[in-house]
Amino acid sequence: MEQVDFLDLIRSKNHEGRSQLQVPSTSHIETTEGTTILALRYKGGVMVAGDRRATMGNVVVYDRADKVLAVDDSSVLALAGSPANAYEIARTLEISFQHHRRSQLHEMSLDGKLRTLSRLLRENIPMALQGIGAVIPIFATFDNQSEASKIYFYDVLGAQFESVDFCTTGSGSPTIRGALYYHNRWGGQPTPEMEEPEAIGLTLRMLETAAEYDTATGGHKPTTDVFPQVLCVTQTGVSTISESELESHYQNHLRQQ
Amino acid sequence: MLDEPYRWVEAIRNRREYIEDQLQTASPVVGASYDGGIVLLTTSPGSRKLFEVYNQVAFAAIGHPADIEKLRKAVIDIAHVEAFNLSASDVQLQRLVNSGIGPLMKTAFDEIFRSPFIARVLVAELDPSSNERFYTIDADGSFSGRADGALIAGSAQAAEAIAAIQRRQRQQAPDPPPLNEAVKQLLEAWATGRLQDARDEVVEGAFSDEEIATCIRDTVGEQTLEISMLDRSLPTKTKFRRATAEELESAVSDYR
Repeated sequence: MEQVDFLDLIRSKNHEGRSQLQVPSTSHIETTEGTTILALRYKGGVMVAGDRRATMGNVVVYDRADKVLAVDDSSVLALAGSPANAYEIARTLEISFQHHRRSQLHEMSLDGKLRTLSRLLRENIPMALQGIGAVIPIFATFDNQSEASKIYFYDVLGAQFESVDFCTTGSGSPTIRGALYYHNRWGGQPTPEMEEPEAIGLTLRMLETAAEYDTATGGHKPTTDVFPQVLCVTQTGVSTISESELESHYQNHLRQQ
Repeated sequence: MLDEPYRWVEAIRNRREYIEDQLQTASPVVGASYDGGIVLLTTSPGSRKLFEVYNQVAFAAIGHPADIEKLRKAVIDIAHVEAFNLSASDVQLQRLVNSGIGPLMKTAFDEIFRSPFIARVLVAELDPSSNERFYTIDADGSFSGRADGALIAGSAQAAEAIAAIQRRQRQQAPDPPPLNEAVKQLLEAWATGRLQDARDEVVEGAFSDEEIATCIRDTVGEQTLEISMLDRSLPTKTKFRRATAEELESAVSDYR
């Protein structure tokens, strides 16, 4: 049987970009690095959002980082962790899906996609253990078989879990995880029953809350007009909420109350 | 025995004849520009012959299905490794042909203890500067590029007849036509090649409209008509799409 897998292909050609640096391992794993990523289920599908700040220690390196990336027409990968490894994983994943679809003449199955991401995270374990390259992503996709949008989150070693209503990752996530739980249990309309505009409003409020308590999460700055990223995964595919729409959501949901 | 140059030349000649013989009955693949991109057309007894290689690159081949599959996979691998190492915009047809498919087919053809690829390949690209590019690669690895259209056929006389009619079509209407018109022209060119296979001498305009219509009607009844596009209007990164059932039906409805 011929080789069909893109990861094997780049390995066989020695094109694998990530080196597994060898230094003495740190005593703890730096699992969450500066970011807040949030994925939640709403009526139309799944919404994935992330702030735009990139940090190095207590220094803000960049305030326009894209951490939520469409890896194919129906899947989104949101990244928390070491940017170099995270972007490389996202790129490798995107090309793996394309390679599979074109060479096998059909889309990679949902299980196959999850497994590929898991493999990439497992290969990243040495970097994570050395304390310099941990990546903890959230993967959201539309599953054609069950005709539903799904959210998966991972741990640093590559174990994958399916999330029911919402999940969060990044350094700002503890703040809003509890808030989202409270909202869905006692706070009024639970997120799975929300229409898109309300879900966007709640998402933006959560990111703003995370930014309030986590220095590594960037909030909305009116002076620069930098907005968080909000992407929706629905039956029709991945769509990005434009900055002008986000602006009006800020007006409606955040400023007046 | 093969250490003598003469024997090597003889062996190469034999395999060239063998490949010609094997490809003789293949249904041609024809391609042309239309006002929204590139369209490719062929017929097959069942297995697909038109494929997506990369966002803006399409692949078509005639020949042995296993060889077509090997070549298709090889060029997909090259394109994706290139995209991984550099970027999507560095995947360019000229490189895929010049340093990919071309040398691959030539090496297999020249090494007389290995089996050659029994295939002819046509590849097409929509490039970012709004130009179209077609390349055809023969079983011996020799390739040539064109800008406005291309063909691969099983026999030399079919290729010659199709080239003549495509030239005439372009002279009559130099600007790329709308999709339905382009498909009609390709179908006519394809049928001319098919009819020419039964004759030796190529005479331009030798086949009446009635003969062409009969050929199309007979073939689409028995075989699968395949049409694929590189469609600039697609919102996705990939511009390749296969014709819809309605588009296929409207292409042949005049001939039913």
